[in-house]
Amino acid sequence: MTSYLIRRIFQMALVILLAAVFVYFLFNISPGGPLAGIQQQQRRITREDLARLRTQYELDLYWPVRFSRWLVGVPQGPIVLAGRELLENTPVGCYMPVYEAESSGLQPKIVGCDDYVYMSELPELHPPVRSSNGILRGDFGLSTVISRSRPVSDLLKSRIGPTVQLMSISLLLSLLLGVPIGIYSAVKQYSKFDYFFTTVSFIGSAMPTFFFALLLILLFSVFPVFLVDTIPWVPRLPPGLRESVRSYEVATWLPTVQPGSAFDQFLHLLMPVGVLTFFNMAPWSRFVRSSMLEVMRQDYVRTARAKGLYERVVILKHALRNALIPFVTIVVLALPGLFAGAIITETVFAWPGMGRLYYDALQRSDWNVALAFIFITALLTVIATLIGDILYTIVDPRIKFS
Amino acid sequence: MTATARTIGPSSRAEDATQESQVRVVFRRFRRHRLAVISAILLLVIFGASLLAPVITTFPRDAIDVSSPERPAPPGTVSRDGRMHLLGVDHLGRDLFTRVLYAARVSLTIAFLVVLISETFGSLLGAVAGFYGGRVDMILSRINEFMLTIPQLPILLIISAILLKRDVVLPMPGFVSRLLSALLLAPEREAQKVVVLVLILVLFGWLSAFRLMRGMALTLSKQDFVEALRAAGSSDARIIFRHIVPNGIAPILVSASLNLGAVIVLESALSFLGLGVQDPTPTWGNMLDFARSYMFKHPWLPLVPGIPLVIVSMGFNFIGDGLRDALDPRLKR
Repeated sequence: MTSYLIRRIFQMALVILLAAVFVYFLFNISPGGPLAGIQQQQRRITREDLARLRTQYELDLYWPVRFSRWLVGVPQGPIVLAGRELLENTPVGCYMPVYEAESSGLQPKIVGCDDYVYMSELPELHPPVRSSNGILRGDFGLSTVISRSRPVSDLLKSRIGPTVQLMSISLLLSLLLGVPIGIYSAVKQYSKFDYFFTTVSFIGSAMPTFFFALLLILLFSVFPVFLVDTIPWVPRLPPGLRESVRSYEVATWLPTVQPGSAFDQFLHLLMPVGVLTFFNMAPWSRFVRSSMLEVMRQDYVRTARAKGLYERVVILKHALRNALIPFVTIVVLALPGLFAGAIITETVFAWPGMGRLYYDALQRSDWNVALAFIFITALLTVIATLIGDILYTIVDPRIKFS
Repeated sequence: MTATARTIGPSSRAEDATQESQVRVVFRRFRRHRLAVISAILLLVIFGASLLAPVITTFPRDAIDVSSPERPAPPGTVSRDGRMHLLGVDHLGRDLFTRVLYAARVSLTIAFLVVLISETFGSLLGAVAGFYGGRVDMILSRINEFMLTIPQLPILLIISAILLKRDVVLPMPGFVSRLLSALLLAPEREAQKVVVLVLILVLFGWLSAFRLMRGMALTLSKQDFVEALRAAGSSDARIIFRHIVPNGIAPILVSASLNLGAVIVLESALSFLGLGVQDPTPTWGNMLDFARSYMFKHPWLPLVPGIPLVIVSMGFNFIGDGLRDALDPRLKR
């Protein structure tokens, strides 16, 4: 078990590193980049200006140096060892590149270098700012677009709350609904109840999330507005955001909602929570159902019945506990979502959470934010997988790792 | 329906009477799944309509109707020059019926290409990995596991954001983009961007086929008949292509059908988020993206691309379900 764990953790580290390298490379080798637009808009930009801009985006450094600074925050300058500065004359980048004379397009080709950046110049050209210790040490650099020159971690901190709120409520609800529905469907297999929820979960697996979300908005926010003169008691839900700016009416039989009040927040939560719960609950109830059906065919369930136990005891104590074993892994794998949120749902409902932040970062090319999100999500997913596997051995002693 | 029978036909090498009847058995079992049959018919109608798109509608894909009384305009609007817009016009004044049909072409082409490439690629790799085992298997399985572990949607989004924001067009042989532009009835430049999206979707598409075929190859390669084939001098390639792959075809067909639905949803999600197919190439996803901005005044607008999207996605799921029941009753849920 210990050696298995050590091996797994080692593999885990490798997976995360690979994921980071993969994503980092992808946008460093693909053409374009932060300067493409500037070069295109201002054709008469001087070489000096360009060099300054390149420095601003760390583009003057070679990519391995940049990558290392992004990942672990070194080198910040010459390495000091026993009072002596090492590697101070190593070129780590190019301040003033020579462009190919006749090249045009988004990115002129660099053919040489007039002025190298040396290791000793690093502290001066790229003075250590806040949050520059590298992502492996928990620093994600500065945001470039969404909130200028503020650390990405500040941005993440401001978004984590709404995401945890949204995701924890919907995860809890899907568990509270999905598990009992699964059990009851299995116990009453082929009943009307079973068929109904089979259909519901089928819809859940085939329906696109964003269209379902749009349908909810149509049903609860758009149509009630059209009906306001004829059927004024139909409630109108706010179609997005986390709370309102000004007070509004939901329905004639409800008092005016004050912005920022608990009731206001509750109303804003309803639809996104509904969407997420629906899409979690559907596969979960199916899983519990099929797992229950399998367990109920086992000999020990028959034995339990033969002993004359109440059916309730047979189902809830003997069958359910075994049926939930594989379910544990699935629930654990949903936990990274608590951080990552739901990109599509948060976007449709303009929920100010992590998923929405990621979407904005992609739309507005704030790559540090996007990379931080990807990195943390990958990390959490890998950890969740490991926890899931370990839990599996705890709840089911028959499984041994080798 | 005949399409289903035909795809199963060659794989079971229908020549003698018993084999022929097996195809018929599968066909009959499939017919018993009422929803699958209905879906198949509906999907055939949508395929047909999208294939005949230029014949069915008289409006060009991107033509802006300046004589439309309003934009967006509801279904059945008659513009001042007397032509009717069956499903109305969008915010720019383009005929929505036309765009939905062309969007069907785009979405279906992407889905079929992605599934075709990834199932072929995945099952071949899986067969090789399972058959040879050892280091090949280890490396391929690790890659597969790695891809399964990392969160899919964020990675897909960032890749397409990077490639799209920078307008990357991958180098590709001319016939690929010409073929695709003929399929999509779109200019070659748009077709080239679609190729990029197809490749992005294949990146995660091959995983299930790989695992299915690998498992199949792993059990089969340990069986005596494979040993006998080797002794009789069959080459590895022959064993893989004639004996292992045909055995795994049934589950691959089922997973392909389910994947078609999943890829359609994924593509439309990417396009909906503005990180997939871009306007003016229509897909149901990017049409829904535009509809979102106007739905408060024009609530019918999201339904126009949304309903075909749901029908197609559900249809492929039902057909996959029906195929599973028909091909392998043991797998019945």
